[in-house]
Amino acid sequence: MLTVHFGELDEMQYGPSWFKYNYKPEWLKDPFVQEMIKGVDNSEYVDGLVINSPVFGPIPPERLSGGLKTLIMIYKRTDLIFDATSCGQNCAVWLKEIGRRVDVKVCLEYLMDFAEPLEIMIDNENRIVRSEKDFMYTAMKYI
Amino acid sequence: MKGKHHILIETESLRYEFDVRRNITVLQGESATGKTTLIDILAEYSKKGRGGGIRVQSDVPCFVFNGSADRWMYELGGMSGGVIFIDEDYRFIQSNEFAEYLAHSDNYYVLVTRKPLYNLPYSINEIYGIRTSGKYHFPEKIYHEFYPIYGDNYGNISDEKRILLLIEDKEAGYDFFKDMVGDGRCMSAEGNAGIYPRIIEIGSSEDILLIADGAAFGSYVDKVVHLRQLRGHIAIYFPESFEWMVLKSGIIKGRDILNMLESPEEYIDSKEYMSWERFFTALLIELTKDDPIKRYSKSGITDFYRGQNAEKILGVMPEEIRRLI
Repeated sequence: MLTVHFGELDEMQYGPSWFKYNYKPEWLKDPFVQEMIKGVDNSEYVDGLVINSPVFGPIPPERLSGGLKTLIMIYKRTDLIFDATSCGQNCAVWLKEIGRRVDVKVCLEYLMDFAEPLEIMIDNENRIVRSEKDFMYTAMKYI
Repeated sequence: MKGKHHILIETESLRYEFDVRRNITVLQGESATGKTTLIDILAEYSKKGRGGGIRVQSDVPCFVFNGSADRWMYELGGMSGGVIFIDEDYRFIQSNEFAEYLAHSDNYYVLVTRKPLYNLPYSINEIYGIRTSGKYHFPEKIYHEFYPIYGDNYGNISDEKRILLLIEDKEAGYDFFKDMVGDGRCMSAEGNAGIYPRIIEIGSSEDILLIADGAAFGSYVDKVVHLRQLRGHIAIYFPESFEWMVLKSGIIKGRDILNMLESPEEYIDSKEYMSWERFFTALLIELTKDDPIKRYSKSGITDFYRGQNAEKILGVMPEEIRRLI
């Protein structure tokens, strides 16, 4: 399940930097990571460490967007808490999908919209929200 | 620093073109739109200059802050009279110290961040996303431009129902609107931070017209827009400030006023005024200080700002908003 903490936590990590210096080449072989590469950056994984970007042509993983790098870190390092504020609104659908697959906790410091159906644990209140309205009113109390 | 500065940044495959015209511009929006790439290209240019395959055209220097977060004040001190770009991983931009530093800085700042920066009085009109045109197919050139995220969308509420005015201001602006509609229909939020709790307090039974200083409401606008979507029945009007409305109404005469209202950026020095609404307040006070009838004070309005002149001030509002009062 996806757990969201509104605001900062001391142990919060910054996804783009973590990814840049710590990603594992085999992560790119994961079909779900490839789906996120397509969904967020509109790019295609080719092979090895090569991704085909419609903007830059062939690029290494270091040149993926900050939001995508953070999503991959959230998915692959569930032992850490990342700042999902690096993820734009177009990452919300992927954050929800990550939460459907694994248990993760993220921090969030802006009002990201999540479409229903949703099931998100709010860390600040230790309760699960299941509607967009409940999620947003709760977020507005803390952000 | 003063003025509007047109900036063009170009490589053989990418082009960014935009204007900056206030001390704070905020860049946000979806992932993968090119925000970090913009910063990276500028940082590369600052290292290699013209020999690095990057062309930068601007009448003022463009700097990228990529130094130590612990020594930001020292490092920013070496940059003057330019536009400084700061990417989202620097948390110091949320600090009181940064707000105090920026209040007297002669640089403009472009801050890449989705977080609301409650310490900084930035304008709702200077929050941008990046959009792309071109074929979006490598190796065709991609063109990036800034677009304002919050446009003139006043909200859609009926004018048949009694409406409650929620005024961000607690002094002259609030006095003015309370005078126009009466005590029972006007409430002060006593500052930007009071708006969200006041709307929650009011509940869902009332239609609300929220009036706040657009020049300094940037960190709160996203919350209000979301609240309007959720609750409905909220119209919003964000003039630069109440004093801007008074000056715009034409009831105060003075040299250069029209030009100042047309192109404030040519007159407002970022080192002197942290946000435009402070300039318009100072200007209105200065223009009226020698006239006991017109004399303007932030603490409350005099009779000069009532009656026919009040109608002229209200006439500055767009018709969709004016008819609600």
